[in-house]
Amino acid sequence: MNQKLISHANLDRLLARLRERWIVYAPARDKAGEVALREWPQEEPLTLEFKNFLRSPKALFLPQDQTLLEYQDGKWGEPAFEVRDTILFAVRPCDARALPVLDRVFLDGEQNDPYYARLREKTTVIALACTRTMSSCFCTSVGGGPGDAAGSDLLAVDLEAELLLKAQTGRGEELLGFAADTLAEATPGAIQAAEELIAGAEGQLAPVMTAESARRLRQDYDSPLWETAGRKCLGCGTCSFLCPTCHCFDINDELRDGAGRRVRTWDCCAFPQFTAHASGHNPRPSPKERWRQRIMHKFRYAVENFDVSFCVGCGRCIRYCPVSMDLRAALKELGV
Amino acid sequence: MSANREIEARLRETAGKLLAEKKVGLFIGYEKASLPFRTTPLFLSRAEEAERLAWNPFCTANLSVYLPRLFQAPADARAAKAAPPPPTIGVALKGCDARSVVALLQERQVRRENLVLVGIACQGLVDRRKAEKALGTHEALGAGEDGRGNIRAVVEDGTEVTLRREEVLAEACLECRSPAPSLYDFLLGTPVEAKGAARRRKDGLESQPLEARWARFQEAVSGCIRCNACRQVCPMCYCKTCLFDQTRPRWIGAGTDISDVSIYHLVRALHLAGRCIGCGACERACPMGIDVRLLERKLSAEVEKLYGYRPGEAAEAVPVLSCFAMNDPQDFLTEP
Amino acid sequence: MPSEEIASRTRSEAWEPRILAFLCNWCSYAGADLAGVSRIQYPPNVRIVRVPCSGRINPLFLLRALQNGADGVLVSGCHPGDCHYISGNLAARRKFALFKVLMRDAGIEPERVQFTWVSASEGGRFAAIVQKVVEAVQKLGPNRKLVKSHER
Repeated sequence: MNQKLISHANLDRLLARLRERWIVYAPARDKAGEVALREWPQEEPLTLEFKNFLRSPKALFLPQDQTLLEYQDGKWGEPAFEVRDTILFAVRPCDARALPVLDRVFLDGEQNDPYYARLREKTTVIALACTRTMSSCFCTSVGGGPGDAAGSDLLAVDLEAELLLKAQTGRGEELLGFAADTLAEATPGAIQAAEELIAGAEGQLAPVMTAESARRLRQDYDSPLWETAGRKCLGCGTCSFLCPTCHCFDINDELRDGAGRRVRTWDCCAFPQFTAHASGHNPRPSPKERWRQRIMHKFRYAVENFDVSFCVGCGRCIRYCPVSMDLRAALKELGV
Repeated sequence: MSANREIEARLRETAGKLLAEKKVGLFIGYEKASLPFRTTPLFLSRAEEAERLAWNPFCTANLSVYLPRLFQAPADARAAKAAPPPPTIGVALKGCDARSVVALLQERQVRRENLVLVGIACQGLVDRRKAEKALGTHEALGAGEDGRGNIRAVVEDGTEVTLRREEVLAEACLECRSPAPSLYDFLLGTPVEAKGAARRRKDGLESQPLEARWARFQEAVSGCIRCNACRQVCPMCYCKTCLFDQTRPRWIGAGTDISDVSIYHLVRALHLAGRCIGCGACERACPMGIDVRLLERKLSAEVEKLYGYRPGEAAEAVPVLSCFAMNDPQDFLTEP
Repeated sequence: MPSEEIASRTRSEAWEPRILAFLCNWCSYAGADLAGVSRIQYPPNVRIVRVPCSGRINPLFLLRALQNGADGVLVSGCHPGDCHYISGNLAARRKFALFKVLMRDAGIEPERVQFTWVSASEGGRFAAIVQKVVEAVQKLGPNRKLVKSHER
C-alpha cells in the first residue's frame, strides 16, 4: 500500500484539496481548550496536539437523537436525509477500531441497520497514530495498539514536522491519489521513524488482561467481587455515552395532535430502568447486576459471539466516571 | 498539608475501631483511585481494611448519595419482607456532605440511629478539570499535597509541577459557607472559617436583559448529553423512579433536543429548590463541564431571601416546600 | 404538521395567542363559569383545564404546555384561606413563587406563565385577568422557547 508524506505547513492545503470532494471533520481547539472533531474549515484552529477527544466519533454514525420516521394523519415516511461523502481526519486508532466493532452489531449481513449503514458507507476515516499515551489507555490489552489501523482507511503518523500517511484500504489509496499534488513520497527514514514512535508508545502501555479473560469471566459470574466492585456505581450513563463502542439504544414515539416522529436515542445498561419490565420486575435490580453485565458484555459475551472484545481500551470510562470506577481494577481483582 | 495526613490516620483508626467493635456493619469512605486528582468510594466491612481509607483534597464525591438506597425497602413487597433491617452505617463526611445527611434526615430518607457520622473539617477540594487544564499538555502521573497547602503533581517526564490551591479549588468550595460538619458523632480536624459568604459568583444572570439570560441558559446546557450523572451523584435525587424515567406519561423526550434538555435542567432546579446544599458534586460529575448549578444557585438564594430557609441546618426543620406561612410573599401574582 | 401550524399562525395577521389555564375546581373554575353565565365578554384564547386544587399543579404541566405550543399559561386557585382543601393553595404558593423566579432567571418571558387567585364569585375578576394575560402574550408574540426543534 502507498505511503506519502505531508509537512505540517501543508496540512491546510491537503485538507482544502480533500474539501473539494468531501466534507472534512478535523480536530480543533475551542475557547474552553477542548479539542473535538469539527467541520473544517472552522474558526477554531486546527490542532494535532491532543491525546484524545472527550467524545468519540460514534455520534457521527449512531447519532444520539435520530429521527427514524415521521408521521402525520396516517401517512409516514423517513425524514429527508442527505448523507454526504465525509472524511474524519485524525481519529485515534482506538476510536477507529471501534467502527469495525460497531459494524459487527449493525451490519451483520442479514439485517443491516440502514441508518447506520449509509452513514458508515459515506465516511472515510483517517486515523492518527498515538505517539504518547495516557495512564488510562490500554488499547494493546484488547487487541489494538497506538499504531493499529483497524477501522481506518488511512493511518497518519505525526513525525514532528510532517505526517506519514499510510493507505490501509482502497479508499485510502483513492485519497492519496486524489490529493497527490499536495503530497511527497514517503522516505525510508520517515517510515522507520514512524515505526519507532509507535513502538515507543506501545512501550508506555501496561498490559491489563490476558487472553483468558472471556473464559475466566464465565467462571466468575457468581463472584462476590461483583457486589464489592459494583456497589459504587451510581447508574449514570457517562461511561456508555462516551464509550466508542457502546451502542444500546431506545426507540420512542413522540407524537402530538396526530403527528410525530419515531426517535432513536442512546440508552445505557447502567441506568436503573434499563431492564425494567412492564410487570414491574427488574432482572438487574441493583448496581451489582448492572456492573457485572457491563463487564460481561464487553469482555465475555462479545468475545464468545463475535471473537472480538467490545472494548477498545480508550480509557474514557475511567477518566470521566464521577466516582472513578476503573474496570481494569475490577478485572484485575477477578484475576482476569 | 500535614493536617490532612493526620486526619487520614485518625479516620483509619476511627473506622477500624467502629468496625472491629461492630458499632457499624459498613463504613463508607474514600480510597485512592487509579488516576491522579481522584479518589473512589470505598465500602468497608472489615476492620483490617481500614488502612485503605484515604483523606485528601481529591475526595470529591458526596458519599451521602449512597445512604438513601441503603435505607430504601426493595420495591418488591415479598423481597421487602424478607430483607434484613439496614445495618448501622458509618460514613466519612465533609461539611457539605454532612449537610446532605441533615437534609436527608429532614426528609426522613435515612435513620439517625442507624448512622455513625464521622465528620471531617475540610479545607476545600481540588477540581480535577482545573488541575488537568493547569498542566496543559503534560499528563499527571501522580498528585498530592506539598505540605504548604498547594498541590504537587508529578508529570510524565518525571518533573514536578506545583499547582496553587486557589487556582484549582472546586467552584463549590470557593463559595463554601459550611466547611465544618454541623452534625457528627466524631469530628476529625480543626474547622476553618467559612470564606464563601464573601464570594458571589458572577454568572451572567443577574441584571441581564431577558434574551441574554435565555442565551446564557441555552448555551450553558447545549452540551448536555443526558447522561444523568448530575442526577445520580446527587444525594437529594433519591426517587426510586425519576420523573424523567417514567413512561406513562413520558414527560420529555430521552434525546438531546435542546427543548428536552432545557426542561430537564429547569425541572431539576425546581426539584432541588430549597433542598440543594451546594456541595457541587453534580458539576464535578458532569463529563461535559456544564455549570449544572447555574439555575439552582439563584433559586437557593431566593429561598433564603423569601423564606429565610437554608436546607441541611437542622434535622428537625421542616423542608421549606413542605410548609407555608399565611403571610408568604405573593407579589408575583397577576392582578387585573 | 405542528411546525406548519405554528408557522402559518405566525405568518398570518390573525395569529392569536393560545393560553392554557389551569383552574381549581372549587373557586377559579366556578368563577370562570360565573363569567360565562353572566355573559361577561373576554377573549376566547383561553383553553381551560380543571384541577381539583391549585396544589395539584406540577411545574411540568406548565413547562410541557409551553413545549407543546402554548403561548402562555395561567394558573388560578382559591384565595389564601379559602382553599377547599384548607391549605393546598398555601403549599402551592411557595412553588409558584419559585417557578416565577426560575422563569425569570432562565430568560423566559414572565408574562408567559402567570398565577392568580380567583374566587367562585369573581366572574368579573376572572374575565379581567384573562384580558390582561391575553393582551400581554399578544404583545410578546408566539412562544418559541422550549418548543422542540422539529416543531419550530
